[in-house]
Formats: sequence, structure tokens, C-alpha cells
Amino acid sequence: MIKPVFIKIWLVGCIIAMAYSHALGQTVINGKVMDAQSNEALVGVSVKAIGSTAGTSTDEKGNYSLTVPLNTKELEFRFLGYQTQAIAINGRQTIPVLLHPDDAKLDEVVVVGYGTVKKSDLTGSVTTLSSKDFNKGAITSADQLIAGKAAGVQVVQNSGEPGGGISVNIRGVGSINAGNSPLYVIDGLPLDNSAAVTGSGTSFTGMRTVRNPLNSINPNDIASIEVLKDASATAIYGSRGANGVVLITTKSGSSGALRVQYDAYAGMQNVAHKIELLNAPDYMRVMNAIIDAGGGNESQKITDISGTGTNWLDEIYHQQAAIQNHNLSFSGGNEHTTFLASLNYYDQDGILLHSNNKRYTGRINLEHHADRFKLGLSLSTSYSKDLYVPNGMDLNERAGIVYAAINYDPTLSIWDDNGKYTLSKDMNIDNPLAIANGKQARSNLYRTFGTIYGEYQLAEGLSAKLNVGGDVVNQRRDTYVNRLTIDGNAAGGIASILQGKNSNYLVEGTINYHRDFKQSSLNAVIGMTGQRFIDNDFSAEARGFPADVTKTDNLGLGDPTTHITSSGKSSNSLLSYLGRVNYTLLNKYLFTTALRVDGSSRFGTNNKYGYFPSVALGWKLNEEDFLKNVKSLSNLKLRTSWGQTGNQEIGNYQSMSTFGTGLKYVYDGVQVTSTTPSRLANLNLKWETSEQLNLGLDFGILQNRVSGTIDWYTKNTKDMLLNLPVPRSTGFSTIMTNIGGVRNSGFEFMLTTNNLTGAFKWDSNISLNTLKNKVTNLGGIENIITGSAGSTSQIAIIEEGKPLNSFYGYKIAGIWQQNDDFSVTDDQVSPGDIKYVDTNGDRVVNAEDRVLLGSSFPSFMWSFTNTFSYKNFGLYVFIEGVNGAKMLNNNLVDTYFPANLKRNRLAEPLLNRWTPENPSSIYPSFVNPNGQGQKTVNSYTVEDASYIRLNTIRLSYQLPLKTSTIKALSLYVSGQNLVTITDYTGYDPALNPNGSANFRIDWNAYPSARTFLIGVNLGL
Amino acid sequence: MKTLRYSYLVLSIGAMCMLQSCSKFLDEEVFSQLAPENFLGTKEGIESLLTDAYARTANMNSNNSIYVLAPQEWPTDILYQSGDNVERTARDFINFTWDPSIDFLTTNWDPPYQAIRDANLLLENMENAELSDGEKKVYIAECKFLRAINYYKLYFMFGTVPLRTTTTQTLQLARASEEEIQHFIESELLAAIADLPAPGEEAAYGRAHKAAAMGYLCKFYLNTKQWQKSAVIAEDMINQFSYDLFPEYKNMFRVENERNAEYIWVRPAFASSDRATANSWANTSFPDNFAEAPSLGIKYLSTYVNWPNEFRIYDDFYNSFEPGDKRRDLLITSYINSAGQTISLLGDNNIRSFKYWPDPNAQGASHGNDIPEIRFADILLTRAEALNELNGPTQASIDLINQVRTRAGLPKLALSDYSSTEALRDHLLKERGWEFYSEGHRRMDLIRMGKFIENAQKRGKNAKAYHALFPIPQVVMDADPLMVQNEGY
Repeated sequence: MIKPVFIKIWLVGCIIAMAYSHALGQTVINGKVMDAQSNEALVGVSVKAIGSTAGTSTDEKGNYSLTVPLNTKELEFRFLGYQTQAIAINGRQTIPVLLHPDDAKLDEVVVVGYGTVKKSDLTGSVTTLSSKDFNKGAITSADQLIAGKAAGVQVVQNSGEPGGGISVNIRGVGSINAGNSPLYVIDGLPLDNSAAVTGSGTSFTGMRTVRNPLNSINPNDIASIEVLKDASATAIYGSRGANGVVLITTKSGSSGALRVQYDAYAGMQNVAHKIELLNAPDYMRVMNAIIDAGGGNESQKITDISGTGTNWLDEIYHQQAAIQNHNLSFSGGNEHTTFLASLNYYDQDGILLHSNNKRYTGRINLEHHADRFKLGLSLSTSYSKDLYVPNGMDLNERAGIVYAAINYDPTLSIWDDNGKYTLSKDMNIDNPLAIANGKQARSNLYRTFGTIYGEYQLAEGLSAKLNVGGDVVNQRRDTYVNRLTIDGNAAGGIASILQGKNSNYLVEGTINYHRDFKQSSLNAVIGMTGQRFIDNDFSAEARGFPADVTKTDNLGLGDPTTHITSSGKSSNSLLSYLGRVNYTLLNKYLFTTALRVDGSSRFGTNNKYGYFPSVALGWKLNEEDFLKNVKSLSNLKLRTSWGQTGNQEIGNYQSMSTFGTGLKYVYDGVQVTSTTPSRLANLNLKWETSEQLNLGLDFGILQNRVSGTIDWYTKNTKDMLLNLPVPRSTGFSTIMTNIGGVRNSGFEFMLTTNNLTGAFKWDSNISLNTLKNKVTNLGGIENIITGSAGSTSQIAIIEEGKPLNSFYGYKIAGIWQQNDDFSVTDDQVSPGDIKYVDTNGDRVVNAEDRVLLGSSFPSFMWSFTNTFSYKNFGLYVFIEGVNGAKMLNNNLVDTYFPANLKRNRLAEPLLNRWTPENPSSIYPSFVNPNGQGQKTVNSYTVEDASYIRLNTIRLSYQLPLKTSTIKALSLYVSGQNLVTITDYTGYDPALNPNGSANFRIDWNAYPSARTFLIGVNLGL
Repeated sequence: MKTLRYSYLVLSIGAMCMLQSCSKFLDEEVFSQLAPENFLGTKEGIESLLTDAYARTANMNSNNSIYVLAPQEWPTDILYQSGDNVERTARDFINFTWDPSIDFLTTNWDPPYQAIRDANLLLENMENAELSDGEKKVYIAECKFLRAINYYKLYFMFGTVPLRTTTTQTLQLARASEEEIQHFIESELLAAIADLPAPGEEAAYGRAHKAAAMGYLCKFYLNTKQWQKSAVIAEDMINQFSYDLFPEYKNMFRVENERNAEYIWVRPAFASSDRATANSWANTSFPDNFAEAPSLGIKYLSTYVNWPNEFRIYDDFYNSFEPGDKRRDLLITSYINSAGQTISLLGDNNIRSFKYWPDPNAQGASHGNDIPEIRFADILLTRAEALNELNGPTQASIDLINQVRTRAGLPKLALSDYSSTEALRDHLLKERGWEFYSEGHRRMDLIRMGKFIENAQKRGKNAKAYHALFPIPQVVMDADPLMVQNEGY
């Protein structure tokens, strides 16, 4: 193991090299700062004496007063949204200043890891989104704010439930077995986004992914989000940078009078798109016809509809689910101290019964400047209360409500003659309403996180910063299954409590150096950081309660022989050294290099430390003489970068061979526990490495009325962690190995235009990106066939040269017809059966005939945002689209390959099924649906999930108020998820219950909502 | 001012170096699992891993109890399945249309190999464990027993399989030859027999003993048609131990009568909510809205679960019993449903086997009835069959069969009724069916007597000779390029 000693030497060397000087004698300068166009006073403008550390900011009337050393020559005035000005003092005592709005937007400061950089000096690929760019409407989490807004960032909702999980991929996916989520850093604290409680409780089906851990952050608190995409930007995060980094900066106060802001909305949600099942009369007619055609026994015939039958899906929808959000913030301060405090209440009902998400958050951000010292605090605390209904990717006796409602017999009534929920004797599924009302879970989650930092200016341009942070998530989930259900009735009630705590702390020190030379400037940072994560969990379960009254509040009342407890604890840590240098020459040539050295406890003993370097170059072409005179060109910059980043999300203890809980056995009639080997050890286990090359172009023409960026990248992941299948005769099925590679490449294009600038304004943003994903190396394995959902398995293939997790199955040519030549096949097929393509022409259709059926990766994604304003009216229209993505519709699999005859199915294929009278060439007869085996993954069930969506429309009106108390008041109405154009037949092509965006399987999706809101923004 | 400046610098650098100097910061601490270094050096560690090996050998987790039995009976003349989600898979087993990707093949592949892995690991660590030589000897014998019976199960399910006898062999491993597998099973069992305690002297019921190892060896010789060896070892077992037929066939399989003098080796069950050691049979035997089976006095309790996954007995099998056969009483032909109506199950291939009486202490789908793998009746009939194959019908064979028939309340057979080896073999096939239905012996009995394919064809199935072996599961094929699939698949 190599100790990164040289970093320490560098650190010490840098400090010694720093020189600083003292000023003698002082004078006071004052004045007023105003907007050059409107002549309005500007509040909170930063005023600095160039060449010293003296600084202040303007008060609520725009005035400043600053004591500066006598030898000071210039003052610098800096204000967000305005061009920074340096003004020579020339012996004056009073200096009024007019600041010009910064149309160029180029000198916005962009937050990058461990520092900031002027946007014009940026060499990496970074998308900056501020609150005006964020998605509008009902937003529960930070990632929803940027969905569709940043090219190269794919945000896929895993579930339509309130606060449902989301998967985010930046520039494709580079990993099969390690995590693919970006690193989230909020105000300098890298977040651990794993869930504290992952289980859903006994006899309770949960989603494949838990609710979004980012929910505990109030989206209203967020000032800006920076998405770091290329290696130049992410390498500073080393072994956590490979999936991209999302930097979240929360709002801060500004000096001046107290400002109070109240924002609220309330609204209603409905199921956006319903799926159609056979209704009771159609079900009876079609099933009986199938039986007549030989698909069942006479005894199975349906003779009776109880009442009018039941549309089970309609019964589980929550019509008109309410949603509301209230946000109240206070901010203000003086020239030394600024603060922002906010409170938020969010309450969303789900569009399925008994699901809800409530959140209460509070935040305090403080910053204090005193001479050379700066102290800051960013602290957030939240309480989330979730109510869950059983739903997820499970089936039969374990089914959640959507599966049960889709499969249940529509000829039954809800209640039987005894007043109990009707049970079908044909299927091992509980009554959907019994599941909804008899299985309920709630969770209480408390999360507090924040950072405290102190920064001291050691000398001109040299400062040291210490940042200490922490994050504690405490969650308890209570599940009770009562006697309304089959499970609960047999067990006498099942109570389970799951408790989890995730915590981590961060300590880091950085030293920043900045110096402007005559023709160049230098910016450097070095630092060291350590973060340790400790998770633990506890769960308990009991059954056999005297009554369904105490639920989880008295497990001791349950039958003592049924008590089950378990607990666990794990930890991991990271220790890192980092450094970065930015150098600008002649304000034309930009150079950036960064290095991070990461040690992780997760890596094998032979590979404890990883090195992650990057370099980037930028060339501001518009500053060159040959372009300087081109008036229409306001900005033109070429960028290129190269670097390596890592992915350490491999889980804990994967490099070691340990003994975990084994199976139980019975000695002398008593159950005993055991231990079993957990895995094959791999002492060489290490991070995955991504090597990324980026080429970019930033441009702006006509005073930046048209501006944009184009990026091209190629990202090669090597040493990819694969759960390498091992011969199963070893007693193991896989070993975690660093082998294999994946390449992601694509173009990203973002364009901002001010189409109309008069009284009627029209601005638009276009974002577009392409993505090509390819497995480049599988370490000698021919392929890996993977994926399962219920009884559908072997869904996708991982093979060199093909996109990761390409769907792999049978191609359907149509339907066998009566006059077809059946001699071409040895398979037992009849007219009305599905005609699979015998690809290899060996007269039988078997596993050898499977072909690639597309992948989950969209070939391109785009969005088009328009903001119109006229006088006090504003209109926001957001349209987005995804093209070329495929998804396995497993509910369609259940229709084509029903577990038994009596399962209800999607209406369309059954109503139009093949019969001798209706020789359909699309839909089979369903007489012998499993007769050709379980060819569940095929060109019917793998559907095109491309779509175009009118995502959001918002109409707002700014009330023309001019009172002393109310500064601003606006009202709006908005609609979300309004229109979707798609060929996809499930609930929503944009949903992915399988959880990972690169492998899309839709099954029993919690449907997505259409939301209508009215809202108010009030500024005091 | 300068002091503050320097103290801040020192503080920052100090804090950073604190992390660095704490050299254990990156050590991976294990809290909830056991590290291998010392774990297998202790008796507790050995016992704990050995328990896992037993558990995987028994294969009773979740629904594995019945999905180990099902492939042995669904393709036969006794039992079939229909109803709900399992039907899709069951149909392939019933209709001889199974392929390498079908369910329940890995259920019968992975747990045996996991048990073999555990046993190999134990054997490798035995040398250095803090144990007396006597203890080591028994543990080694138990491990050899477990390895051997798992290879036995794999061999008769899939044919020859990779022979993994240490954990240090190469990951990829080709299938062993017939001779290697057979020799390994035989020699391991012989070694185990030498050192295992006599039945009743084992550390706990459920642990290996001499008779269990002899029982497996006896069945191994029988199924590999080593008649002489099989007959000898059966005789040895009959004479050496105090096993006997349980007086009342009907009650033998009830939870309260477990650990009886007839059970030689079982897959032990215990009802628990986690279903880790569950017998799931009863869930599949309850007909629709079952309330009561008056013929057996079984009543449905609210703690039971009635699945739509139904294991149904063919009418032909029920009708094949000789009149008065008490063993048939466990097959119910009518029941009372929850509406109080009596429903007949006869005439519709819908008879239910209540061999595993519902457990009064069942927890939902989990019942506690042990599933016998070797019982004394099997040893008697094995010797009868082996002698018949060696010498043709003899009084010795007939007497052995008659012991079993007498318990069943049937008249004794007479030697004169059986003129040829075939005639007695045919009777033995029937007798074994009546005796061992729902115990997972039928497939091997049919195969051994050469009737497996023929019978299936008579039932209209497209059965071919290669169906006598199941295919190697597709996931197993995919993970090892050295594996060669069984012929025909």
C-alpha cells in the first residue's frame, strides 16, 4: 500500500510559500450603489478594497461605508446578476456607483467541488440550474426539480406513490452491480442516500425501491443545483465521482431588512391514465368461450355474476387525492451576519387507498464575516410521516393491491353473504380491498444534517477552511396485518416493527489560494477529508394477538412462540486527499488539473487506495483578436477534459469471506439456527474506474440572446464490478470481481433563447441529449442473462458489444392461422397460437431462438421549456420527450401467460382474441396460453416506452400591489402530467417499478398522478 | 491576531492529521457477521456450520418441502397438480415437456451443493479445531454422510454431476464419470457407517447415525441394481437394529407420532411463522372451502391456509388399491365444505392425500410433519425386491412383503401366485406405490423397474427415454462452460 505522503509535503510547501503583507493607515469611503438602468438602490452589494481584506456590503438604502488602508487604489463592487465593477478611488471620499445588469450571465459564480469558479472560466461540463430553472408545481424532492432540465441527466420515477423512489443517472450507467446514482453534496456535505429501513414488514409487499431518501430535504430551500458531469468536474470527488455529482446549494440570507416569504399551493390528483381490464360480462363471455374452445374444463365455466361484479382497480383508486404545501421563510442580516430560516409543511395523499406522505422541515442557514474570519452554519431538520399501502413487484399470496386488483375475478362482489371480503377459490390472492384495509404500514423518519464551517484568511489570497458535518437518519416503520386478510386471519394478526439508523460524520480541511498576476491568475485548493458511516437496524415481529387493537404498540401481547427479533450493524469509512489548480492565461487560455486520493474500507486489503486524476483545457475564442470585432458573438469557448473517477458503491464487506445467518434446522423437535459462508472472498476487490473524455463548446450570440452549450463525451468504465457467475457446484452462485467494462457516450445540447423581448416576452430552453451504452468487456464470460419479476425470469442479457441489460427473448411473427403450413415446425402449435420466429430454422422454437429486443436506454431525450410573460401575466409550458427506450410490461406477460385461466387480464388482447371467426393476426386465441412454454419475454411484452409529454403548464398573475407591507403577491394555477403521447400500454411509460433506470420492468406500478394546483407567493 | 491565525491553521491541519494518524480508520470492522479466522476452530463454530449443512440437506425452507417431492411424483401415475400459479410449471412436469429452464430444478440442485460446500469446509477445518479425536471422528463421519446423501440425490435426479470434494478445487469442474460418482457415494457411506453412532445415540434426533447411512447405502445399491449388496445390507439392518413397523399406518405421519420406531431418516419439520422448516403439503391437500374430513376426523382450523395450488391424486391410483387396504384411508374421497355440504372428490381425479395430517400447531402455511426419507417398510421391501431380482420369487421375499401387507390389513401373498421375477416385480411396484405415495419414491421405483417412460406413454404423454434424467438447470449450464447437458435436452 502506497501512503500518499507527497500530498502532505505539497500541503506544507504551499503554506510556507505564501507571503502576506500588512497595511498601515486607513481612510473611510462611502457612497450609494444603484442599478444603472432603473436607478433603484441595490441592497447587499459586496464592496471590497482591492489589495486588502477590507470589505462590506450595502445597506437597505444601497449605501455603504468602508474603512480601507490608505494605499488602496481600487474598490470592487460585486452583486449577483450584475457585472462586477472595479472603480479607482483617485483620492475621493464619496463614490456613487451604477451597476449594470449582467446580461452576459457569464460571470455568475458556479459552485464546483470544494470551491467556486466564474462561469466564464469553467473548463468542465457543469449544468447550473437556479430556482428560476427548476420544475414548477408539486415537487417533493430535489431530483424532481431538475428532471428533464439538464441534458445528460436521466430522472426516472420508480413509483407514482407520494414521495416515491426516483432513479437518477448522469451520462448513462457504468456499472452493473455497484450503484449508479450520482453523489449528492448539499452545502459541502456528501449525503448518504441509503435508506435506514429497507424492508417493508412481514406479509407486506413493498416497492422494489423505498421512498426517496432525498424527500427529507425541502425543495423550497434550494437556491441552485449544479450537475457535474465530466471527469474534470467530478474527479475531485474521486471514488464517488464516477456517476456524476449533484451539488445542492441552499438559500442564504442577504443583508438588509427582514424579508418574509410565504409560498403555498393546494390541489387535487387523479390517476393520469387508467388501464382497462375485462369487465364482468366480458370476462364471463370470453372465459367461457375459451373453455368452449378447449382452454378449460366444463366445471370451470362461469355461470353467474354476483351483482354487477366489481371493477377492482376502480375500488383501489383514491379519487381526488389532495395535496398541499406551505413554505415560510425569514431572511435578512447586516454587513457581518446574514441568516435564513425556513419552515415547510407538505402533505400529499396518494392516488391509491391509504398512502400518504407528510413532511415537516426546518432550516437555519447562518453566515458571519468578521475581518478575516468567516463562520457559517447550514442546518436542516425534518420529520417525515409516511403511510403505505401494500404494492410492489410480487404476486399471488404476497401480492400488493395493484396485482390483486388486476388479477382478481371481476364477477365477484366486494363482500360475501357473511359480510366478509369475498375470496376467490380459483386463485391464491387475497381480496384487493382486504389487502388495502387489512395491511397497513406507517413510518416515522427523522433526519437532521448540516455543516459548520470556519474560514480564515491567512493572507491575501490565502485562506484555510475547516468543515465539519454530520447526518443522522432515524426511521421506524410499523406494519400490522389484521384479521381482514387471509394472512392476518391465519396468524391472529401480524405485527412487525423495523427500525434503522444511518449516521455519518465528515471532517475536512482545505486551503485555498488565489492570486492574480499581470496576465494570468491562479486558483488552487488542497485538502484532506474523512467521512465515516455507521448504520444499524433492529426489527421485531409477533403474531397471535388477542385482538386487532394494539397493533404494533404492544408486541408482548402476541404469542411468545412467534416472536422474532433481529439486528445488524455495519460501517464503512473514506479517507481522502485532494488538490486542484485552475490557471488562466491572458483571460483566454484556461487550465485545470485535479487529483483525489481515496482510501475506502470497502476495498480489499490489497487495494486500499485509489488515485483519480483529471486535466482540462479551455480556450475563450471570443477573446482572441480575430473574433473580438465580431459584435454578434458574445461568447465562444472551447473546452476539453480528461480524467478518471471511481465508484466505490459496492456495499460493505464484499471483499471478505464471513459467516452470516444460515438456514434453520430441527434437532430433537426444536428449531435451531446456524451460520453459513456468506460469499467467496476477493481480497483484490476495488473501486470501478471510469475514464472520461469530454469536448465542449459554449456559445452566445446577440448579447447572449441565444446561448448554449454542446458537449460530446465518452466514458469508459473498467474494472467493473461483476457478480461473476461461478459454477454453482461450489455452493455459491457468484463472486464479486473487478472485471469487465462499459462505455457510455453521447451528445448533450442545451440552448437558451430570448425569442421575444418586448412587452410580450418569450424565453425558451431546449435540452437534448443522446446516449449510447455498450458493454465492452465481460471478462471472458460469453453473456449474463439476468433479471426477474415474479415468475418472469431471464429477462435481459449482458453481452459484449450490446447495451447493458438488453431485453432478450422471442420475436413474434404473428398468429398461426388455419391455412398455415404447419409442416414447417416440429412444435405442437394450433391455429390461434402465437407464431414465434424460429430464428435458427431448426424447426423448434426454444432458448436458442432468443434475440435482442432493445434496451432500456433511450436513444435520445429532450425537453422544451417556454416562459411567456405579458404585463403581470406569466405562462410556463414544459414539454419533454424520451425516444427509443424499451420496457418489459410484466402485467402484459400476466395477460399472455396467465397463471391460470381465471385470472383477469387486460381487455384489449382478450376482446380481440383470435377465433376461427375473427382470425386475428395480432392477438392469440388464449386457449392454450402456456402451451409453447414460458416465452414471457418477447416482442409483444417488451414495449416501446417512448413518449412525448406535456409535463407542466402554469399560469401566474402578479398582483399590481404597491403597499409598504406587501412587497409582492402572485397567484397561479398549474397542471402537471397533462397529456402523454405514447404507444405504451401500461400505466405510464415514464414509470419504472424495477428501480434502476437502465433496466426497466413495469409490473404492478403505482400509477402516476395528474395534478392540478392553485398557489400563492407572498413576499413581505 | 497572529495567534488566532496560527492556531486556526494548526487546528485545521491537526484535525486532518487526526484522521490520518488513526491508522485503523480504514479497517473494515465486522459487527453482525462472524469472521472465518477463528470461527471454525471452535466446537460451537463447527456445530453451527454443520447445522447449516443439515438444513440444506433437509431442504425444508419455504415450500421446498413439497418441491423436492413434486418432481418425483408429478411425472408419475399417482399425483398431479393444478390450480393457480404453480400450474404452469406443474403442467410441464406432468406432460413430460420440461426443459432446462423449468422451475424446481435449481431447488434440487443448489441446496445439495451448498450442503456439500459446508461439509467440505468443515472437513478442511477439522484438523485444527479444538476437539477431541473422538469428537472429530464423529463430525467427520457426519460430514461424509451428508456429502454422500446429497450426491445420491443429485445423481438420481440429474445423472453424473461435478464431484466437488474440497473447496479448493478449480471453480470450473466437469461432470464426473459414472464410476467416480458411484464409487464416491459408496465409499463415503461405508466410511460414515464405520464411525457414526448407533441410532438413538446420535447427539440429537435429526443428526446422522449408522442406520441412516446404511439405509442410504441400501437404497443406493438398489437403485444402481447392485442387488446382492442391497439385500445383504438390508438384512444387516433388519437384524442389527430395533426398527419395527409402526402399528397403525394411518397415524404414523401425524406430528405427535414422529420419532417412531419405523422412521430411519427424515427431513425434519417444525411449524414456525418464518416457514424455515416447514412442511407445506397440507396447504395443497385441502380442497375448496374445506371444513372437515369426517373419515379421518380432520377439521379445518382458522390457523390453516388453504391454497388454490392443489395436489390431486388420480382416480386410477385410488382404484388400484386392494379392498380393505388401510393405507388408502389417508386418501379422502369426500369432505364437508364450509357451507356444510358434503362434496365428493371421486370420479374427477381430485382425491386428496392427507398422509401428512394437518398439524394442530400449524402456523399458517407451515406444518410440522417430518417427511420420512427412509423407513423400515422400505428396507423390508428393498430386500424383498433385491432377492426377487437375484433369485426370482422366493418365500423370503414374500414374507418380507407380507409383513408390510399385514400392517395394512391385507391378506398375505402366496409364493405360488408369482411365477416369475417379472410377476413379483410388478406386484412390488404396486405395493410400493400403495405404501409410499406422497413420500417422493415413485419416480425412482418406476425408473428402476423400467416403467417410467412406458407408464407415461400409456397416460398419453410424449415421454422419451431421456426423460429418466432431468436436465441440468440452465443457470448451472450458463455458469460453467465445462458442463455438458444431458442427452435429449
